[in-house]
Amino acid sequence: MSLKMRNLAVTAIAATSLLSVAACGSSSSSGDSGSGSSPSGQSLKGVSFTILGQWTGGEQDAFQAVIDAFDKKTGAKGTYTPAAGGDEAGVLGTKVAGGTPPDIAVLSLPGAIAQYASANKIQPASAAVQSAVSANFATEWGTLASAGGKLYGVPVDASDKSTVWYNAKAFTNAGITPPATWDDLIKAGKTLSASGVQVPISVGGGDGWTLTDWFENVYLRTAGVDLYDKLTKHQIPWTDPSVATALTTLKQIWGDPELIGSPAAAVKVPFTSSVDNVFKKTPTSAIVYEASFVATTITSDKNPAKVGTDAKVFPFPSINGSAPVSEAAGDFAVAFTPNKAAQPFLAYLASPEAAKILVSTSGSGFLSVNKNLANSAYPDATSGDLAKQLVDVGNNFRFDMSDQAPAAFGGTPNKTEWGDLQTFLVNGNVAAAQQQLEKDAKSVKWN
Amino acid sequence: MTVANSDIVTGTINRGFAARVVARTSGGALRIFLIVVALLWLLPTFGLLIESLRDPSQYANGGWWYAIIHPAQLTFGNYSQLLQNHTMSSGFFNTVKITVPATLLVVLIGSAAGYAFAWMEFPGRDWIFLLVVGLLVIPIQIALIPVVKLYSAMGISGSIISVIMFHVGFGLPFAIFLLRNYFAGIPRDLMEAARMDGASEGRIFFRIILPLGMPAIASLGIFQFLWVWNDLLVALVFSNSASQPLTVALASQTRQFGSSIDILAPGAFLSLIVPLAVFLGFQRFFVQGVMAGSVK
Amino acid sequence: MTQEVVSVAKASALATGPSRKTPGQGRWLAGVFLAPAAVFLTAIVFYPLVYTLIRSLFNDGPSGQATSFAGLSNYAHIFTQSDAVEALKNNVIWVVIVPALVTILGMIFAVLTEKIRWASAFKVVLFMPMAISFLASGVTWTLIYADQPSRGLGNAVAIGIHDTFDPQTSYPELHPSGNTVLTGSGAAGYKSVATFAAGSPALLPLTGLNLVKPPKAAEPAVEPSSGAGLRGVLWNDFKLGGGGTPGVIDQGELGVPGLQVDAVKNGKTVATATTQANGTFTFPSLTSGGYTLSLPKADFSPAYGGIAWLGKNLITPAIIVAYLWIYAGFAMVLLAAGMSAIPRDALEAARMDGATEWQVFRRVTAPLLAPVLLVVFVTMVINVLKIFDIVFIIQQSAGGNAKYANVLAVQLYTDYGNQQFGAASAVGIVLVILVLPAMVFQVRNFRKESR
Repeated sequence: MSLKMRNLAVTAIAATSLLSVAACGSSSSSGDSGSGSSPSGQSLKGVSFTILGQWTGGEQDAFQAVIDAFDKKTGAKGTYTPAAGGDEAGVLGTKVAGGTPPDIAVLSLPGAIAQYASANKIQPASAAVQSAVSANFATEWGTLASAGGKLYGVPVDASDKSTVWYNAKAFTNAGITPPATWDDLIKAGKTLSASGVQVPISVGGGDGWTLTDWFENVYLRTAGVDLYDKLTKHQIPWTDPSVATALTTLKQIWGDPELIGSPAAAVKVPFTSSVDNVFKKTPTSAIVYEASFVATTITSDKNPAKVGTDAKVFPFPSINGSAPVSEAAGDFAVAFTPNKAAQPFLAYLASPEAAKILVSTSGSGFLSVNKNLANSAYPDATSGDLAKQLVDVGNNFRFDMSDQAPAAFGGTPNKTEWGDLQTFLVNGNVAAAQQQLEKDAKSVKWN
Repeated sequence: MTVANSDIVTGTINRGFAARVVARTSGGALRIFLIVVALLWLLPTFGLLIESLRDPSQYANGGWWYAIIHPAQLTFGNYSQLLQNHTMSSGFFNTVKITVPATLLVVLIGSAAGYAFAWMEFPGRDWIFLLVVGLLVIPIQIALIPVVKLYSAMGISGSIISVIMFHVGFGLPFAIFLLRNYFAGIPRDLMEAARMDGASEGRIFFRIILPLGMPAIASLGIFQFLWVWNDLLVALVFSNSASQPLTVALASQTRQFGSSIDILAPGAFLSLIVPLAVFLGFQRFFVQGVMAGSVK
Repeated sequence: MTQEVVSVAKASALATGPSRKTPGQGRWLAGVFLAPAAVFLTAIVFYPLVYTLIRSLFNDGPSGQATSFAGLSNYAHIFTQSDAVEALKNNVIWVVIVPALVTILGMIFAVLTEKIRWASAFKVVLFMPMAISFLASGVTWTLIYADQPSRGLGNAVAIGIHDTFDPQTSYPELHPSGNTVLTGSGAAGYKSVATFAAGSPALLPLTGLNLVKPPKAAEPAVEPSSGAGLRGVLWNDFKLGGGGTPGVIDQGELGVPGLQVDAVKNGKTVATATTQANGTFTFPSLTSGGYTLSLPKADFSPAYGGIAWLGKNLITPAIIVAYLWIYAGFAMVLLAAGMSAIPRDALEAARMDGATEWQVFRRVTAPLLAPVLLVVFVTMVINVLKIFDIVFIIQQSAGGNAKYANVLAVQLYTDYGNQQFGAASAVGIVLVILVLPAMVFQVRNFRKESR
């Protein structure tokens, strides 16, 4: 679960909320106004609509470029507002609860779509949007954006959460190549340590979500997709032996100070620093595991390392011969009102044309899973490769587990799952961690 | 006799001299103590100021104190980058449009209510006042959802007025609490004499309470001004892109996947200028208060 | 205006006898004075309070909607859940310590600045933290509390002082690779597994030297030349680009200069040597017998890392310091405003009577200032009860230790963000209940003075 997803969890989720259904019960799913009309030819002249998201900086610029292109095509006027700042808990939630939602919001939690849908707060996709989504995306992405068999959202961007980033120079200095298996990763870490890298593997334990991502990738490989799906829905308890196996495997790295330095220090390192430590001018680390958006963190530096030459990627290693599998996450645009421009905009977002603008705007850092987007649209080969991998796996990926859990369990800084894994990072007590995780999971209502 | 006399004389001189020495040195110690305190208090802000003048690429080289050794590193780059953004200027004007009315309303309404609680008699006065004090503790977060619903029923969602009203509501409990207690300290004889003279309540309020209460009113005004000026949470919930104040504009420029010190630090100093000017301007009222108290 | 006040005041001096106001007119007028406040307070504050109270009695559905009647179970939750208990505990610490500290600090500054000419400048300095947004204050304090001495002033100073008295070791990063030749740890020092005697050179491999920026003095390692005494070499068994054979001095591997090597026999150090630029060392006096070679910890013990300001134990005190920094100015301004209303002649009269400054303060200033002191203190109690922003922001730099700084309002915010509105509402109501003692105190005082 990423930081931005945390923001979204906080803003978005609160929305389904409350006793407020009565306040705006009239806005049921009648407005299919945009269906059929293709987003072109100044058909929407003078229609203005609002979009709430959490992107700022380069990502905001890229998304704004898409809005501008849409406005130019149709004559509509879209206004994007980022709900940023870390203090915005419930901004969208309160707005929806109060009956003044934005026309479109971008959500990163698939669970939120189901919750909004069941509360009748969002609009089902028009026929045009449906056909655009099915033409351009693997079916699994459409399923994630649906609830009760109805499509509501459009995938905007995606991230590959099974990428391990490394400092190419440090690997050369140590004379090693990217490891393909878990054991090789450990061996690589030891060699890096011998070569003078103080903390070979940088763990950003200060942000608990990085730890959930570590765990999920290991669990996906040691327990397999079926158990992954069950644990995601809390259909098996956290005290299950498969969780113990994953945690014990994880401990081979987390529990070794030669690999990650002092765990007490690692638990204070925020995500951004964990990346900086690998790619700054005098690096203290050589490997950092996190998603494809690490590229954005690197390029937002003032003296960035060059992605693709200084900063490279290898897939999360196989454990005990596990087959290749990816973890992914992404954001979905959903219409909250029957605004005439909303559905046409969603349809446009699903087009390869919009995807191209989104990924190619400078500073964007976005990846798209639009399968009809040419790889050449990406500004650098690494992003292109990452996107290609995401598209190529088709439906063979699993969505971020903690992003699918209720935010009270999988999305609360320093508490519940995040906090429990932080504690585990420090003390390495498998049984205690399992019991605490199960206790916390039980105290939360699962959908 | 002469001996005794001279003894007395020298005694007084000695005592006077000793007292003066003590006063002199303790005055010096006091001054040094206050200077040390002031420097300690300035230190964190000073660090932030230096940090706001450093290029972010320098951060990795060391803390802000390194820049003092190499002053050539200092640059206004962060400021100019921030000021290029057009949402900053409209945000600034929105902040003014929100803060000034929200402060004036709280001061006026709070003074009137504070006076009523301090000097008027009506049934249930103590209990109602108790309730108002109780309202002080209500956390803002609790009120967000109910008030959003209220605003959408009133049709004022997203407007500047909606932001102002929220600040007024949450500013009043402290205003009433502070002003009632301050007004209650105004000498009883003064009030009763004025009433004996047949002065109306309005006249008493404007001619006695407001002038005598000026130091308290001025400090309340400053704090209310600051709280509203620096508010982020309320504005995030109630404003929209047209009515958003500076804090929201700033926050929306911070990065999710990187450090934002190069935005927050210069932003802090840009938005510090006005409140400091207001504080310096209000100093006058403290002095006036002093005079009102001392003139006989 | 002042003139008017004075004339009214004079009139009051002339008037004699107690008088009560005319009651009938009063009620109606009080309504006029209170009406605007009543409107705002009812709509913006009181209505949400009632809403919250009702909501706190209902369970939360999966998406935050109120489901069934819960009775007091949301309240029971606060006293059983470990996070919330931590929050309660910290709130108690805050309330016991902070309001008194803030009031005393504000009082000291308000009284002392009365006597200096640059009082205004001093007040601006103390007031400034209040004018900085909480977001920026948070950044300000991370520039002090950050762990790394290159970011945090606190640890830059702490480490600077520490290293003056106890210099950092020269090779904290060096460690044996594997434990076939050397065992031990950086904190305890290393010693050889085997014993060595004159004639058979001791090859002691270490790894971890920073090869990108190796020590200037280091030269390529060589096998010790043959000669009298026990000889050996301590070298970094790794070269840039990797690829050497472990345990063998490969071309390009560097010696580690300046390390102390002790020769130990029967637990006693019998001789000491220091490595050369190429890593070799010699004990010319040891010509017979086997010795364990030991590398004392003085060269390896991990560097002093400074103080964990935002660690488990110090995080709440650290945040309290930041809070004092912000609110001392608040108390000072309010108290100075109160002091400015104290008649000068009362103070002068006391001084003329020969009272010391302390007596003047205790007998005259303090009693006259009591109502304002009370306001400041009660305000701080209430503010501290619902303390949120500064904890929330500084906490974010503490990573996994953030939970040790939890307070009720942060707990409320977390529950709220997780759409557990019933739980959040209960925390809000508990805050209101906690302030009751302060309110009762206030009202007692209120009754006393109106008598």
